[in-house]
Amino acid sequence: MNKKILLVDDSNTILLMEKMILGKESYTLVTASDGYQAIEQAIAQAPDAILLDVVMPGMDGFATCRELRRREETRNIPVIMVTTRGESDNVEHGFESGCNDYVTKPINGPELLAKLRNMLGETR
Amino acid sequence: MKKLGQEPGAYVQRVREGTQRYTQDLLSDNERLRVLVATLEAERTRLQDRARANEDLLRELDVLRGLAASLEREKVRIQEQLLAAHQELDGHRRERELLQHQLAEIERQSRSHSERYVQVEAQNSNLANLYVASYRLQGTLNRREVLEAIEEIVGNLIGCEELAIYEMDARGEALELVSSVGLDHAEHARVPLGVGRLGRAAVTGEPDVASGQDSERAAEARLSACIPLKLDGRVTGALALFRLLPQKPSFEAVDHELFELLATHAATALYCTALQARLSAQPA
Repeated sequence: MNKKILLVDDSNTILLMEKMILGKESYTLVTASDGYQAIEQAIAQAPDAILLDVVMPGMDGFATCRELRRREETRNIPVIMVTTRGESDNVEHGFESGCNDYVTKPINGPELLAKLRNMLGETR
Repeated sequence: MKKLGQEPGAYVQRVREGTQRYTQDLLSDNERLRVLVATLEAERTRLQDRARANEDLLRELDVLRGLAASLEREKVRIQEQLLAAHQELDGHRRERELLQHQLAEIERQSRSHSERYVQVEAQNSNLANLYVASYRLQGTLNRREVLEAIEEIVGNLIGCEELAIYEMDARGEALELVSSVGLDHAEHARVPLGVGRLGRAAVTGEPDVASGQDSERAAEARLSACIPLKLDGRVTGALALFRLLPQKPSFEAVDHELFELLATHAATALYCTALQARLSAQPA
């Protein structure tokens, strides 16, 4: 059974980019365009991992991650933060909110795949 | 006669004494011979013991000779085994060298495949960038959406956090700002053609991507790239990319491909939105 990845971003460009990168792998992809939708999808779809954008209108990525960690049904889902700025305080903030790893924009396809595979315990 | 009569007693006496001495001598000799016999007997016993001991030694010597012969045979057998083991070891060494050579070749091929795989993944990622950019630009006739698509492409795919999008004014004398991200609008509102790097790029139609450190570039250090937008070889606008994201030290090969794509596709997309607006404005 294919692993399921939830992609969360308010930018269609990034969602399309992530679909292009991950689509050639045997993953089932589901998307959400904001934090609230992300939590709903995480509960409904029980994905194997979540790619979560930091900057989103309404509930940002940090708040969404904290909410995912607070809820019993989503707290163990691995989360990779997609951050625009890679400064250390931004990254620390992400880890404090409970993310497992992060990638910076512009997204580097091989790096994202490597981190995702590592998180899912896949070898290549 | 009397004398003779007296003499026989003396004679007997003498004979008796002589006999006694003789007897004593015999007894002494006898005693001496008895001791000698006893000594000889003891000597004979000792020699017999010694002879038996020698016989034991000889038997033991025979056993040792047999053992030595056995050991010699064993030594020969072990030497043969050792030789065979050496030959086998040489065979294993040769086999190991062959396997090591094969392993090194497999590792080299594996590294080559891994490097190729990484290259292919990077190429896929670059193609995905170009596809996404093209798809987003051609996916709408709404002017605002096209401008947002350009902003997202430059921000998320190139990694620039300060951007200005210009279009040529109606008289073809200057670039007019139509949208910006992270910049003061008034400060960048208008760029006369031929003035500064952006104005000159709009005249030549050639992209100007920062790489040198001359005085003018130092003065416009924040301007990372000027990308003229062209339609049918005519400049219709320009993109000015200023500060890159902190984790983006410089442009990469795929960025230059994106510049080329943006130069034509963004121009076309903006032109199409203008056409669409004119068509929409016409009475049905």
